[in-house]
Amino acid sequence: MADEKHGDIIEAPGVLVLSFIFLILFVIIWFAHLKWLLEIWAVE
Amino acid sequence: MAAEDYRICSFTGLKIHKPTEDLIKWNTVTAILFLALGGLMGFLIALTRWPSVHYLSLQNYYRYLTLHGIDALLLWIIFFEIGLVYFTSAVLLNTRTVIPWAGWTGYALMLVGAVFVNFVVFAGKADVMFTSYVPLQADAVYYLGIIIFAVGALTCYGHFFANIIQAKRDGAYKHSLPLGSFGLAAACIIAVLTLAHGAVIMIPVFFWSMGLIHYIDPGTYRLIFWGLGHPSQQINVCAMVSVWYMISAFTVGGKPVNEKLSRTAFVLYIFFINVASEHHLLVDPIFSNWHKIINTSYMMHLAVFASMVHAFAVPASVEVALRNQGYTRGLFEWLKKAPWSNPAFSAMALSMVLFGFLGGITGVIFGTEQYNIIRHNTFAIPGHFHGTVVGGTTLAFMGFTYLLIPYIFRRELVMQGMAKWQPYVYGIGVAILSISMMSAGSFGVPRRHYDITFSGAPFSFTFDPAIDMFMSMVGIGGILAAIGGVMFILVAMGSIMYGKRLAS
Repeated sequence: MADEKHGDIIEAPGVLVLSFIFLILFVIIWFAHLKWLLEIWAVE
Repeated sequence: MAAEDYRICSFTGLKIHKPTEDLIKWNTVTAILFLALGGLMGFLIALTRWPSVHYLSLQNYYRYLTLHGIDALLLWIIFFEIGLVYFTSAVLLNTRTVIPWAGWTGYALMLVGAVFVNFVVFAGKADVMFTSYVPLQADAVYYLGIIIFAVGALTCYGHFFANIIQAKRDGAYKHSLPLGSFGLAAACIIAVLTLAHGAVIMIPVFFWSMGLIHYIDPGTYRLIFWGLGHPSQQINVCAMVSVWYMISAFTVGGKPVNEKLSRTAFVLYIFFINVASEHHLLVDPIFSNWHKIINTSYMMHLAVFASMVHAFAVPASVEVALRNQGYTRGLFEWLKKAPWSNPAFSAMALSMVLFGFLGGITGVIFGTEQYNIIRHNTFAIPGHFHGTVVGGTTLAFMGFTYLLIPYIFRRELVMQGMAKWQPYVYGIGVAILSISMMSAGSFGVPRRHYDITFSGAPFSFTFDPAIDMFMSMVGIGGILAAIGGVMFILVAMGSIMYGKRLAS
């Protein structure tokens, strides 16, 4: 853990792709969850 | 300092100072023992909130809930963090602990305070729960115990700064601290601010409990208490993120892809993470609406941004390291070939996922002003913080314990097969527990409540039948997490006491 810059984000393309996958999953789950909440709370 | 006071770690090549090693050992073992006690209380509480089991009596429920908060949230985590204080301010810098007796004084004060608090709660004289909201009043020994513990912790956090100043004089580092130490420095800065709030409110409440002060304003208490209560969790966040970076470095040789960015993220924590505590005060008349909105809807996200930097930087450090080891096929060969059977690594990976998805995202949502008004004081909130503090911090610290055992205790892990599975069992249990709590909370199930059927009350209230399933899942998740916790205690304490001795 020396005090220096070790590389660039392009050196971790897997994590970059994973981040996008998680982002898309999060948006889907969040809106499904929101729809569920609106039903529970009976919001018209 | 004589050369014979040092040894070289055969795993890491780090120079380890004998008094530092002893301080880390004692703080870590004490932490594990309090985790065992706090975990047992948590297990009994989970069984009680499972409607068809409802295990504890009314009196014991609130007593054990108080102890669960004290032992699992405060004592396990802070004792372990003090071990980290010495690891990062001396071992990681290849240097020594200055004035070791100050460390032992801090440890002794923390232990005495911890014993006082446990004793008085077990004696039934402090059923006030973790927040001890005024006008609930505990025996004076409870507040005295908290104050003594806080003074001890402050001594040890202060010791961190003494160590790094001496390390700089000794030439142990030139410009800035290594990232693991830098993260703990952020934790120690937040700790000093946090414990100062604790002193401001706990000392008058102590006098109040002895009858020397006749009135403590509940609003003032809540305001200052949350300067202690929530920021103390931000100490945990900084320490946990440091542990992620260190586990990545020690298990796969990971180095942050952009160290300056990671350091900036820690600085953002120092400045902005404490404002997250304002959501505790949204219905209190103390702050103006402008103040509440600007903090819970805007400033909080600067700390969230910091967490997102770390959430990217730590896995990226793992990927870069594994690619450098030759796992370069496709996008995910490195992920497949990562050391998933190494419990330190798997605990770190699971900790990041659970902290980020269960604790972090829900924290951002629940901390927002408009949403908080709906969810506050429901079971969803403990669901959130079991994601952060249990799935995140506790699991990360468990993972680091698996490294401390060979590095510091110089013992080989016993029951390695069990150790391999432990992070998964514990992580899945906590995930079920946390998700079920949040789901039940969405239906309005209150937090802390012993009897949500309100039996015998002059009014009746019936929850949606779906909550029976979620509350049962709380029990099942709790049992699974307890099994994972027992596995950890067996492996950790078994290794420390009976593990094969390793040569230095």
